[in-house]
Amino acid sequence: MWRYLTTAARYRWLLVSILGLVWGAGLAAAYVEYTTTFESEATIWVLRASPELTVTSPDDPSAPILQTAASQQADLLDQLLQTQSFVRDVVQQTSLRPALQAAPDDARFLARVAKAFHVQTHGTNLLTVAYVSGDPRLAAEMVNAALAVRADRVAQASVTYSAAANTLYQLQFKVAQRQALDAQSALDEFDQGHPGPLSDVEQAQRGQLRLSLDFAQVRLGNIKGRIDQSTLAPAVLAVSGMEFQVVDQPRVESSPRGGTKTAATTAAVAFVAGAALAALLVLLGTILPTHATGPADVARLAPVKLLAAVPRVPRVEGPAGAPADLRASLALIAFRGGRGRGDVTE
Amino acid sequence: MNVSAPLTRPFDGLASRIDALGVRSVGFTSALLGEGVSTIALGTALSLAELRDDPVLLVDANWLQPSLTNDAGLESAPGVADHLAHPAKRDAARRTLGSGLAFLPVGDRTLARPTLRAVGSFLANEVGALETVIVDLPPILAGEPFVLPWAATLDQICVVVREEATPLPLVRQALGRLGAASAPYIILNRAKASSVDVPAKLIAART
Repeated sequence: MWRYLTTAARYRWLLVSILGLVWGAGLAAAYVEYTTTFESEATIWVLRASPELTVTSPDDPSAPILQTAASQQADLLDQLLQTQSFVRDVVQQTSLRPALQAAPDDARFLARVAKAFHVQTHGTNLLTVAYVSGDPRLAAEMVNAALAVRADRVAQASVTYSAAANTLYQLQFKVAQRQALDAQSALDEFDQGHPGPLSDVEQAQRGQLRLSLDFAQVRLGNIKGRIDQSTLAPAVLAVSGMEFQVVDQPRVESSPRGGTKTAATTAAVAFVAGAALAALLVLLGTILPTHATGPADVARLAPVKLLAAVPRVPRVEGPAGAPADLRASLALIAFRGGRGRGDVTE
Repeated sequence: MNVSAPLTRPFDGLASRIDALGVRSVGFTSALLGEGVSTIALGTALSLAELRDDPVLLVDANWLQPSLTNDAGLESAPGVADHLAHPAKRDAARRTLGSGLAFLPVGDRTLARPTLRAVGSFLANEVGALETVIVDLPPILAGEPFVLPWAATLDQICVVVREEATPLPLVRQALGRLGAASAPYIILNRAKASSVDVPAKLIAART
């Protein structure tokens, strides 16, 4: 341990310089990061739509929902942000559009934009969407654009899905309608063929035909209801807005916000890097000495031997009693006859 | 008691060991500039002059940076270079400083460069007249041609290494250039107190 402390003391100014440079640069970078980071955030209240308002059948067992409403919406946003088309649509709606057009690498630009978005859930029904930027106005603009593009995408998906469901129901309706007509025809034919009083067997046959007609009509009504639901539900959901309500709109922040974590990370990394660099220097300086730190190191020059060691003399008392350099004092004595020594003679 | 004793005390250990080696000519060099070679040569010469009753000649043979000559204010005076160029004039160039110490500045460096023969001749004459010759030499890596003739002819060559400053790989490189024949010693300069082993009795006797 003493060896390392000695090495540290020997290289103290170098260590101080390294630590000053690394820590100073780290702190400066952290400060710049903190003061130039603006985060705009939207708080959103989400609810799961009532089963009656969903296009899918509430009885459909193939769509189990194991997530909370907030995590479902957060996942949806996260997934959308992973697609270039979504991020591109967002950027196209903001003042970043010229930057995207000028960017040499679209994918990298869009990835950087996507990385600046942060979607986080806060409980079962609350989530926040935030964007971090050096420009406070842009941060708010990006969050608004992301929410708008999301709404468009969701609405578009809903319309597409309801249209597909509607088509399916229409086909089912035609089949059910034909079945109902067939059942009605069969019942009418039976009634025409048996005008008189009916025997027990005939009454049973007519009851079956009547029952088939009733089933076909019920099914027909059921499908008709689904068709109406698939047409109206998305519109009702969109009008109510209950599924996705922006409680707090993103604001243009006037003071830095959101850069604390990054700044702290930067400062911590700089601190650790500086300390590691200093420790490495001390370690290498101890185990790989490049200078003679004492007679023991001179032994490494074997077979050459140490004759003597001349001690370090910081200052000596000069001729006038004042502190003076050893060399100057020796020269004064030798060449100038200092303190009464002989003058230079030939 | 001599007034210079406290100032030369840091060099007493080195001077006493040179004295114990019994060598008559010692050269100080280093791997790089700024290792304190001239200071050590000067301090050791002063300390040896006090330790021995015999005279000591301090020679500034640093062709690259003759700082001792500058300290003495003898930049334009004839010196060792003049000796090597014109051996007959050597007596006129030597300065006696008193208390057994004499000094020979570098002289006009454009006149001659040290060669094995000239340096050998110079040392044979000077050591014949004086007990000890201390030579301040330039750093090996920067001024190898100015060092090697001296290293081959001096009784002992010492390489000054500054503690916690001189890179050991460069010292090894410098020692490699000196070659094995010169069998140099290392002087650890600006050493911490724990690294210094000064003959305590000698110091006590002198103070």
